[in-house]
Order: sequence, then structure tokens, then C-alpha cells
Amino acid sequence: MASKIRVVLRPVKSILVRFCPFESDVESTRKFLQYINHKKIQATNRNCEVTADVRHDGSEPLVDVRFADGERLIMKGANLTTIEMLTALGARCNAKDVKEEPKSKKKNP
Amino acid sequence: MAALRSVAPWRGGWLPALQLVRHGSKAVTRHWKAMHFQRQKLMAVTEYLAPRPAVPPRCLGPRREAPQEDNGYAQLLRRQVEEAFRDNRMIAICQYNSMPDEDLVLMRHYLRKHNIEVKFVLNEIVRPVLSQSKYKNLLPLFVARNILLVSPEAKVREMLRVLKGVPQVNLLGACIDDTILSRQGVENFAKLPPLEAAQGQTVGALELLPSQTSSLLQRGSAHLTALLDQHIHRLQTGETGSTAEPSPAQSSGAH
Repeated sequence: MASKIRVVLRPVKSILVRFCPFESDVESTRKFLQYINHKKIQATNRNCEVTADVRHDGSEPLVDVRFADGERLIMKGANLTTIEMLTALGARCNAKDVKEEPKSKKKNP
Repeated sequence: MAALRSVAPWRGGWLPALQLVRHGSKAVTRHWKAMHFQRQKLMAVTEYLAPRPAVPPRCLGPRREAPQEDNGYAQLLRRQVEEAFRDNRMIAICQYNSMPDEDLVLMRHYLRKHNIEVKFVLNEIVRPVLSQSKYKNLLPLFVARNILLVSPEAKVREMLRVLKGVPQVNLLGACIDDTILSRQGVENFAKLPPLEAAQGQTVGALELLPSQTSSLLQRGSAHLTALLDQHIHRLQTGETGSTAEPSPAQSSGAH
């Protein structure tokens, strides 16, 4: 289940989720938004802003993640499942976390 | 170790059979004991054989599952949803992402002040109800967790204000007075002036052209009346009797 995927949002600055609810391919994006707003994941980083942009222009669902080091991850959720999106985000967050740990260990001997 | 127990030899005779009894094992044991050979044969002969159906099940047609009975609770929830759609003028559908409980209670409180009720709905109940009613276009909205904000009045501005303070509830769309609106439509609806002002504006706009037409039609005769009044006024101030007779003749000629 998607609740088993632990996403650590520490390196994330903001997440923007844009979708058009009257389209038929927004289910995974909406579920992704639901999981992102879960208290456990929100507890990993209180400063992360999650914005939902609801439109009605027939555009495809989009998830735009901005990281603290300036990197951007754009996921087009029309043909992705929720679990794929969560694992992709989780993998990138863990990778960034792992990079940060040795740096912080070097700074504090 | 086999213990041989020989039967005591009788006087004048000797039973050749020796009863061999294995050491330690009684009839009823805690471990599995091998059955006597005769018993084994009996068990083998009397084994259960399942009866085979006359027609193998592969040759029969596909079984049609009996339609599942409606759960009473599901029927009740369906009836509640139907009532909500029938009795309320405004039904707003929002996506619900999990919120802390105290925030939820506060939001419910603020909305209740404006007579807006918050209903949690299950998609599997709402989808069949909507597909059979006239709100078919709302069907794609009911995916993932949703809540309905229902109200007999259409206080959209207050609702938007409350929802702006709650980031975890996202407005997806609304059905106000049997009109399906998207989020943008709801925001435009909130900016509309109240009904009386709109009616006054419409009446004013419609009134403009006929009033112009009537003033155009009356312009000729009004001008003539004004000229005659001026003339009479001049005659009365001038006191000349001869010009008074041809002026009524001129006015009758003009008509």
C-alpha cells in the first residue's frame, strides 16, 4: 500500500499539484495529493508548502516539486500510478538526504 | 527387547503359539501406532470415494451469480445522498486531505454558522446515485476522498473565505441551482452582485431603448406645443387681436 512508502520531505521546499477534476485521468494525482497531505509525511518537514491548483482547462495533471537546492522534479500524472510517483519522489528525497548526511558529519567531527 | 511370555504348559498338552508382546506399547498411545494389518485392509477398502456428477461441470454453461442483496445501511446512505441533492440549492464538492481533528471541528463550526453542512460521502454510494440522476457530469469528480458542503442558501463568498483558511480541503466544483460550475465558475459566482441589484440593472437596460423611442415619437408634437405656448404668451403680452385668429387656423392645419 502506498502508506508503506516513507517519503522524507526534508530536502523539499514546495510541492505544486495541478489538475482538472473533470478529466478522467486525475485519479492517481489526486491520491498522490491525499498521501502527501498525510500527517506523518507532513511531520517530516513542516516548512514544505503543498499547494493544489484546481483548473478547468483540460490540461493534464502535473506535480511540480521544488527542492531546497534548486532542483525541480516535474511528474505528469496522466499515465502514472500513485505508487510510482511516491517511489520516485521518495527515492530522490532519500538520495538527497544521504548526500547531506556525510556533509554534515564532515562539518561536525 | 522382546519379552517372551510362554503360556504355562498344561498337563498333557502344549500350546505352540507364543504371544509376543512388544515392550512398552499399549493399545492407546500418544504417538501414531501402526494399525493391525487386518485393520489396514479394512480402512483401505472402506475409503470415501466422492460421487462424480453425471455431467462434468466443464460442459455446463457459465453460472450466473445471483445479484447481491442491497445492504440496508447502503440503502440508507443512498437515500440520504438523494435527499441532499434534492433539498439543497448549493452542493459543493471538495477533496478532503487528512486534517487534524480540531481544525476539522473548527471548520465545521464556521460553516454551520452560515447554514452550510459538511457531509462525508463514500464514492461507491454516490456514483450509482449520480449516474441515475441528472447530475451525470459530476461523476468524474468522485474519485479519492471527498466531502460535500450542502446548503439551502447559496452563500458562496462566506464558504470561499472559510475554505481559503483551510489548505487541506480543495474545492473541485459545485452544483448551484442545478447548474454545474467549476472552481473558476464558483469564484465568478461569488463576485456577482445580489439578485435584486442584478434585476434592477436588467430592467434599467431594457427600459433604455423604449424610452428613447417614445421621446423620439413625441418630439414633433412636443416641439409644436412649445412653439404655440410661446406664441400665445407673446400675443397676451403684445395685446394684438388680429394675429389671434389666423394662429388657431394654422395650428388646426398643422394637425
